[in-house]
Amino acid sequence: MAALEAPLRAGEPIAGEPTAGTPISEAEAIERLRQTQDSSQQYYGAWWLGRMRSQHPETVPLLQLALRQRKPRDPGAGVEENAVARNAARALGKLAPAAHAAIPDLLDTLDDDDDGLREAAARALGELKAEAAVPPLCRRLASGPAGAGALRPGTPRLQEPCEAMLEALGDIGVASTEVLAVVEPFVGHERPLIRSAAARTLLQLSGEARWAEVLLELLDHPQLQVRRAALMDLGGAGWRPALGAIERTLAENSLKLIALRGLVEQGQGEPGEEALLACMDALL
Amino acid sequence: MSTTALIEALQRADSAAGLLAATRELACCGDPNAAPALVEVLGFNNPGAAVAAVDGLIQLGPEAVPALLQLDPQNYGARAWAVRALAGIGDVRGLDLLEDALGTDVAASVRRAAAKGLGQLQLEALGGDERTLVQERCLTALLAATGDGEWVVRYAVAVGLEALGLQLRPHQPALHRQAHGGLEALTEPTREEVLVVRLRANVALTKLEG
Repeated sequence: MAALEAPLRAGEPIAGEPTAGTPISEAEAIERLRQTQDSSQQYYGAWWLGRMRSQHPETVPLLQLALRQRKPRDPGAGVEENAVARNAARALGKLAPAAHAAIPDLLDTLDDDDDGLREAAARALGELKAEAAVPPLCRRLASGPAGAGALRPGTPRLQEPCEAMLEALGDIGVASTEVLAVVEPFVGHERPLIRSAAARTLLQLSGEARWAEVLLELLDHPQLQVRRAALMDLGGAGWRPALGAIERTLAENSLKLIALRGLVEQGQGEPGEEALLACMDALL
Repeated sequence: MSTTALIEALQRADSAAGLLAATRELACCGDPNAAPALVEVLGFNNPGAAVAAVDGLIQLGPEAVPALLQLDPQNYGARAWAVRALAGIGDVRGLDLLEDALGTDVAASVRRAAAKGLGQLQLEALGGDERTLVQERCLTALLAATGDGEWVVRYAVAVGLEALGLQLRPHQPALHRQAHGGLEALTEPTREEVLVVRLRANVALTKLEG
């Protein structure tokens, strides 16, 4: 499931809180990112430039600088530079085609020790459809559910940010035998969200209905969070035969509408646009 | 069971599942006396029960409107559901609330329901001048919302403008042209970046021209 566009995540600084709700100009956002005294201001500036799809010529170079500003994680140090780097990666993902210049920087961060940064970089590389990211992503996932997908002792996190990396491979769209062989074992992962991400990617890459079946089954999962992820993944893959099942899923209309938008925009064939739009109209 | 007994069962419900079941029962009864109790459920922060209550209120139609309009405006969660119910009922007494919701509500889900509702108010019973006035207000609110920041709201605006435009076509050529113009803006790739919104606005234009 794609990350929501929220500026804040658990464990990250509440950047520029007194001003975060106030509209700022593009010039102001660029200045906040450029200065290096206050990293919470940089954090907010990076988020703003991505959210507003800034086309300013300085935006991408400054975000590249912010990515390089990362340091080993030091949770005791208050606002960390890595938080700025993570937001810079997220912003770059939204800034194609200008951000293609930053692909080498994002590839570098795929080897960073900070898995949160690897996650943000993987998602950005997926959004930028960076084919150069396929070999490193495959390399990091090659050890499969028992390796890359194993729980890191003492934390709820996996060794690799598997969900983001699997989805990036689907978004990039290189459907080689090697990629499919790396992704397929994750359909057996113990976590339903990882199974969902893997099935989505395989569906995007191969178009084979058996992977859609995995997602359709997850639409009936007892946990709402899993049903939501399966909705987003069917939408991301644009699997139009899922229309009826999406309509019946026990989840918010807002998420069904996003999924159906995916079916319209990413999908093809039957059911056609007329039926899809009629279903969306009824969910408003 | 009588409506009174159903309402009492609802008030006795002591679990989320029990509340949902009791709301569903009451929502099916079709008795306007159930409306205040159903409106009360909208404020309980139980989405399943609220969906059932909204369905029941829409079934009751105009008779549910007074109870909906008595809702405390500070009860934020309940207001969102009330907007959906009023949008579904299409009663012109909901106009103020729908206008306000589309223009100012922070939740996109509420704005999208209001946009759809502003296109489907039932205006047959109104006199000519009053009907035109209401149609102008709906049109103004919808045209302003073609610039909403959320794609799903702009999508709902296309749906609302289509329904309103079809109503306007026979007798209000000037207003019809404005609705048409708003939809044209939503089909323009330089102005509207989201494909599904452009597609929906194109469908609406085809219907208005058909």
